[in-house]
Amino acid sequence: MKFEDSSQNLRSRLWIVQSFVVLLLMLLGVRLYYLQLIRGQYYAEIAQNQRVRLLPIPAPRGNILANDGKTALANSSPIYNVILSREDLRDRKLASLAKPLAEALNVDVDILRDRFEQIGSQPAFESILVKQDVNAGDIAWVESHELEFPELRVEQQPQRRYPANGMLAHVLGYVGEISPEQLKQPSYKDKGLKPGDVIGLSGLEQTYDDYLRGKEGYRKVIVDSRGRIQDEIETVAPQAGQDLVTTIDLDLQMAAEEQLRTSATGRGVLVALNPNNGEILALASAPTFDPNLFSRIGTKEGRAEYVAVLNDPEKPLINRAVQSRYPPGSTWKIPMAVSGLEQGAITLDHSALVCGGGIMVGNKFTRCMGNHGTPDIKAAITHSCDGYFYRLGLKMGLDGIMSMVDEFDLNKRTGIDLPNEVLDLTPSPELKKRTQPENSDWKDIDTVYASFGQVYDIITPIALIRTISAVANGGKLYVPHLLKELRPVGVAGTPDYRPYRAFQPLDSTRPNPKVLPIPEDIHQRVVEGMWGVVNNGGTATSIRMAGFDIAGKTGTAQVVGLGKDVGKNKDHSWFVSYAPAYKPEIAMVALIENSGFGGEHAAPAVRHVYDVFYRKTRNAEPPGAVPVAKSPKPEGSPKKPETIARNQ
Amino acid sequence: MVAIIQKRGLRDFDWLLALLAIGIVCFGTIQIRNAQPTESYWVKQLIGLSIAVVAMLLVAFNDYRKLINIAPAFYVFGLVLLVIVLVPGIGLKINGQRAWIRVPGIGQFQPSEFVKVTTAMMLARYFGKHRSGALTLKEMAAGGLILALPIFLILLEHDVGQVLTYLPILAIVLFLSAIRMRYVVAAVALSVIMLPAAYWVGVKTHLIKNYQQERINVILDPENADRRGFGYNTWQSILTVGEGGLLGADTSAAHSQSSLKFLPEPHTDFIFAVTAGNAGFVGCILVLLAYVVLLSRMIAGAKRAPDRMGMLVIMAVVGGFTCQIFINIGMALGILPVIGVPLPLMSAGLASLIATFIAIGFAISVQLRRFVN
Repeated sequence: MKFEDSSQNLRSRLWIVQSFVVLLLMLLGVRLYYLQLIRGQYYAEIAQNQRVRLLPIPAPRGNILANDGKTALANSSPIYNVILSREDLRDRKLASLAKPLAEALNVDVDILRDRFEQIGSQPAFESILVKQDVNAGDIAWVESHELEFPELRVEQQPQRRYPANGMLAHVLGYVGEISPEQLKQPSYKDKGLKPGDVIGLSGLEQTYDDYLRGKEGYRKVIVDSRGRIQDEIETVAPQAGQDLVTTIDLDLQMAAEEQLRTSATGRGVLVALNPNNGEILALASAPTFDPNLFSRIGTKEGRAEYVAVLNDPEKPLINRAVQSRYPPGSTWKIPMAVSGLEQGAITLDHSALVCGGGIMVGNKFTRCMGNHGTPDIKAAITHSCDGYFYRLGLKMGLDGIMSMVDEFDLNKRTGIDLPNEVLDLTPSPELKKRTQPENSDWKDIDTVYASFGQVYDIITPIALIRTISAVANGGKLYVPHLLKELRPVGVAGTPDYRPYRAFQPLDSTRPNPKVLPIPEDIHQRVVEGMWGVVNNGGTATSIRMAGFDIAGKTGTAQVVGLGKDVGKNKDHSWFVSYAPAYKPEIAMVALIENSGFGGEHAAPAVRHVYDVFYRKTRNAEPPGAVPVAKSPKPEGSPKKPETIARNQ
Repeated sequence: MVAIIQKRGLRDFDWLLALLAIGIVCFGTIQIRNAQPTESYWVKQLIGLSIAVVAMLLVAFNDYRKLINIAPAFYVFGLVLLVIVLVPGIGLKINGQRAWIRVPGIGQFQPSEFVKVTTAMMLARYFGKHRSGALTLKEMAAGGLILALPIFLILLEHDVGQVLTYLPILAIVLFLSAIRMRYVVAAVALSVIMLPAAYWVGVKTHLIKNYQQERINVILDPENADRRGFGYNTWQSILTVGEGGLLGADTSAAHSQSSLKFLPEPHTDFIFAVTAGNAGFVGCILVLLAYVVLLSRMIAGAKRAPDRMGMLVIMAVVGGFTCQIFINIGMALGILPVIGVPLPLMSAGLASLIATFIAIGFAISVQLRRFVN
């Protein structure tokens, strides 16, 4: 350097500058090393996630079909919604659209404005609902105003539809959005469910939700920083849920519902099943409700409707067949007879016991409804002799009754494939302690009560018909069920394949059937008694069908005290039965709440359903005059329920 | 005479420096195209490059001493441009800064980039006389004044970032003009102590506003800062850089951070983030190496300069470049706050490009004349 001056030590100063330059750039290099090589994978993932979005495509839910495999009981048909696509909105002000759209599509302008405001902060790929379930006129309007409102779209949405007027409501159940509470439970969370997902909330929809619910598809899209879709990378089509074929016979079901609707009080249960395998052919519980209302629950009217149903004192949402317990009354005598003979309290040769018009236990006289002399077991069943069964109960003792309960599984749930089945109450010292703590010792009078189906015997209709079916078929306790089959979906061998599935008890440890060791001669004798109830001067001879032998038993469930109240709290009327008596094809139970004696109300209701069964299976008019139930409801002629005829 | 210069010129011309600069611009142009594939910025950058190369040659083949002798004229002309840009009808306002003049046909032109060169020339002229002793206070004050005039005008544009790149020009000229070492040590020590102290006092007295504090927080902890607000740019830049990995992101160009508009200003302020995303760690290190070679080559030229004026003009340019490179890349890597400083030779921008090549032209010119006289 020609101008160099030792006092300035310029050379070393330049060296300092150069080192400083290199140092600064090295610092950047170190930072790059950290960002790109040490943390690179992490940042790449975040960058990837902020541009990739999965837009779900809802899967169609499987249809629920009647046992013909064709008639749809519940299906998902599309409804149409008008939506605003914000992708196409560009710079147009949302607020300016509220008024013209509200007027044209007849929606509340304030609701629209609110919705527009709320959506403002959402990413642009989220469209805005303008009107749900639009009609053809609305769709035509949208199409004809394409130039003025290019951002309007008509979109399909699957919507669950159930038969009108509440037919099968308790069997089918309903669907709805998963609740925040449910999402917290592992049983839902572990299935990968997320907010907004629609699941079965009741009935078969709930029990078989995993099969009915399809697998959601999705569109994998690339969005820009403002959430606008730029590109679609991948589309995975949704997989439909499995169709569910029920065991329900629609003709029997409609007949059963009609009988309940036109019954004295309009409240009750009627269940028909095949005693040879437990398939439920009809399950009616009245009053019923319209499951379609749950899809309207988002609207103001729908909400009010729901609250009204919820607060209805007649409790239409309850499935009385599995969620209500009643004293079985004299129908209890059937298992008592079987077990009394099995246990040796009485024998086939010496089964006669005194009626006595009642029994004196301690200082309390419990009377029989008649005076039957000294009937044998057959006559005691046929004429429903209480005095006989008081004495049989005392002979069997509490232990004998408890072992009968155990034999017929009456201390267990039946295992029906419907949710929220309640457990029966059956005689035991514990039950007495719980219900009468002030007088908790089990006494002989308690055994008397327990032996004729009152006080300590409180069971569900489904448990009762299961018991009667086992007596009918000679000792096989089947799990009553509504599922016939789930149809396969997808291609066999692929991971998404969902195979055919027949009914299996939900509790796989339970034998189906549970076989009871009822000797054939005992079975025969009890059946003869039940046959006599309808065919040989018993308590239900009014429903006799010549050539189609119904075996049955009437019952009267005490509400306040047997026969004491004749008004609102009248006794419940029972009839359990099966037919034909010596080669059973169908078993039926009916209970009409607060209507009085079983033979007068429940038995004729059952007979009408037998008529339908007879016509179906015999292709002939049923024999015998059709009895008329006393004091039917004034609003007579029932409407034939509309079913969903569509089948997809 | 001309022929002799031409002949000797071709032999002594610093080809490496010129080609390296052109090479970086070409690489940068590719990245500009990656950043904004649908826009024509990259075409404009190539047009700008050809203008810039012509300007560089004009400067290189002229005697820098003649040019620096008339530096006051350039300096005044620069100040006039800075005044003109403040006139609303002429100056364009972008992102709150009135820093651009519209030039028909080419687009916008940022005078403050250009004035950097004229200021460096002016400083070189003032401090370039032969000297024997240490700097006097009067000389330092004069240097400060030369810098203060353009800085004042640029502050009126609200372009704080640009001001930061002016300061090292004076610093390096003073440092190489025999400023007493104790002043240097004192200044460094003082800033090391005072910066945190001032920040602390500022926060306590609320002289530093919340939003300013937020910006500092973004740098201290970009992951947990407000990623959608103040921290957005820094966070997106870090993501873009990080996604680059070793050899560049395996994302298609249409789905890149810049194409989807997650990364703002990808062709100017954040061109380095785009480069890092596309070329990865390897590409970035090569770019940094290219800058090191370029700057070292210029410093080497300064060492061989025939006179103090030549040395100072090169080193002033080196100071300005280094500062801009560090601020711009530091901002892209999330270690410095986001301030709009272009990356020399890579960011799209006509003025920056031409000014940079004129500065390189000076460096070449000084070297060409190392044996003359």
